[in-house]
Amino acid sequence: MRMKKFINDPKHLVPELLEGLALAFPNKIRLLGSNIVARAVPKAAGKVRLVTLGGSGHEPGLSGFVGEGMLDMSVVGEIFAAPGAPRCMEAIRTAAKGDEGVLLVVLNHSGDVLSGNIAMEAAKREGINIQRVLTQDGMSGDPAVKDRRGLVGFLPVYKIAGAAAEQGASLDECCQIAERMEQNTRTLAVAVRTATHPSTGQAIFELGEDEMEIGMGQHGEAGTGRMKLKTADETAEIMLNMLLADLGVTAGEELLVLVNGAGATTLMELLILFRSAARILEAKKIKLVRSAVGEFITTQEQAGFQMMIARMDPESIRLWDAPADSPYFVVR
Amino acid sequence: MTDAIGKIELAKMFAHAAEEIRREHSYLSELDSVAGDGDHGTTMLRVAERLEAAAGANTPEDLGHLLRDAGWSVMGVDGGASSALLGTFFAGMADAAIGDASMDCAQVARAFEAGLAAVSKQTKAQPGDKTMMDALVPAVGAISAAAASGKTVAEAFETAASAARAGADSTKDMVARYGRAKFLGEKTRGSPDAGAASVALLFQGFYAGLAFERKG
Repeated sequence: MRMKKFINDPKHLVPELLEGLALAFPNKIRLLGSNIVARAVPKAAGKVRLVTLGGSGHEPGLSGFVGEGMLDMSVVGEIFAAPGAPRCMEAIRTAAKGDEGVLLVVLNHSGDVLSGNIAMEAAKREGINIQRVLTQDGMSGDPAVKDRRGLVGFLPVYKIAGAAAEQGASLDECCQIAERMEQNTRTLAVAVRTATHPSTGQAIFELGEDEMEIGMGQHGEAGTGRMKLKTADETAEIMLNMLLADLGVTAGEELLVLVNGAGATTLMELLILFRSAARILEAKKIKLVRSAVGEFITTQEQAGFQMMIARMDPESIRLWDAPADSPYFVVR
Repeated sequence: MTDAIGKIELAKMFAHAAEEIRREHSYLSELDSVAGDGDHGTTMLRVAERLEAAAGANTPEDLGHLLRDAGWSVMGVDGGASSALLGTFFAGMADAAIGDASMDCAQVARAFEAGLAAVSKQTKAQPGDKTMMDALVPAVGAISAAAASGKTVAEAFETAASAARAGADSTKDMVARYGRAKFLGEKTRGSPDAGAASVALLFQGFYAGLAFERKG
């Protein structure tokens, strides 16, 4: 199959995209040895380091969030594939060079979890002070599913734990803050059109021209809710109601709402969807205290979006508002 | 004839395993596209290349070091769960008390059991969950049984290859209960698990490597 993508040799997708990222943001990030993205200027000695890992093809996730007030390092895998444990180990060692504690943020996808665990065990054997937070915000459409995928819910975790680390919090404190944020975050994804794998040119999944599927994974792993395409208002209502019920949100509570485009869904649509969500929350007397609309993690030219809600408190709002200076998330 | 394998036999086993994977990698990707993102064949090609290289010319003679290096090298393939678990398997084999230069059938069995134990520490998947464990567990069991009944290493891998094949075939009628594919539920029934199919090919290659060695 011929792909309409502006690429060169498919074998060089990852090094070329990382080179582009480093050239575009030289004041924020730099590349280390083997596809590891680090801050251009490391944070002050003694402060906790945030390290994450994950496959490529989801830009700007995850390396677009390396920078002041967010991540210290991102270990980059091949397209849609977890980086191996040896490179995660290399990043953790480099991050902890001055004996700093390391908070490893892992999105719940089997390959990422494995590499993270293997690397963490090896790091502990070397005497590195390391803890892990697993993000598993993604509902699959069936609320009974316990083992949930990590979707865009990584963003508030990076942001809030990153701000805490920047402000000098201990590893235990950063880990607790990250865990609490994670537990208060829920995401639902919906897809309307597949993407092609940029290396193989194959469609990731099949979906009828007039269909959508709620509860889909980052890579189009099927959910359970295939249905005829609905309007923005109808779609937002179905998804928001599932999210609110699952997180147990009641009137008067404060929420961060994030709408994330999957790659081919326009900002126009994302804004219309966000409007729907905001109106519904208003009617339910739930306070929309912070928001984000845009592309934070994509899957090539997949059409669809993720809707994320997170329960906020004064501390998480303060940390969300703290300065951040990464390539694709800036707070001043 | 001493019935033991050393670096030369391991190199042949790994080379034949790589050959099996090279021949079938498109099929493996096709299987993976039922439940995953269709890249399993590509991952397995890289795994096979690393295995082949790890037993090549300028690698350690000491089998423990060779297997540990091979395992960490396979873990270095960015391929999600399969390369991480297969790497863990080979690195874990080095945890067993094996000979420096060669392993007899009992030592081979101990090494493969140690590899399986290392994998079981990293995944909760069990036979029946439609994962690589459906091929790996019976294959290792066959080697242990062969060693216990005094079979040769080649005979052990012959039974292991059939056990792995039967295990992989049995995943066809299973519903995925583990990994990414479990979110698909009933939709996964009807086609075998890509990871289990890969393990069957690896063991087929291991056996072919030894059979070839005997004839040659």
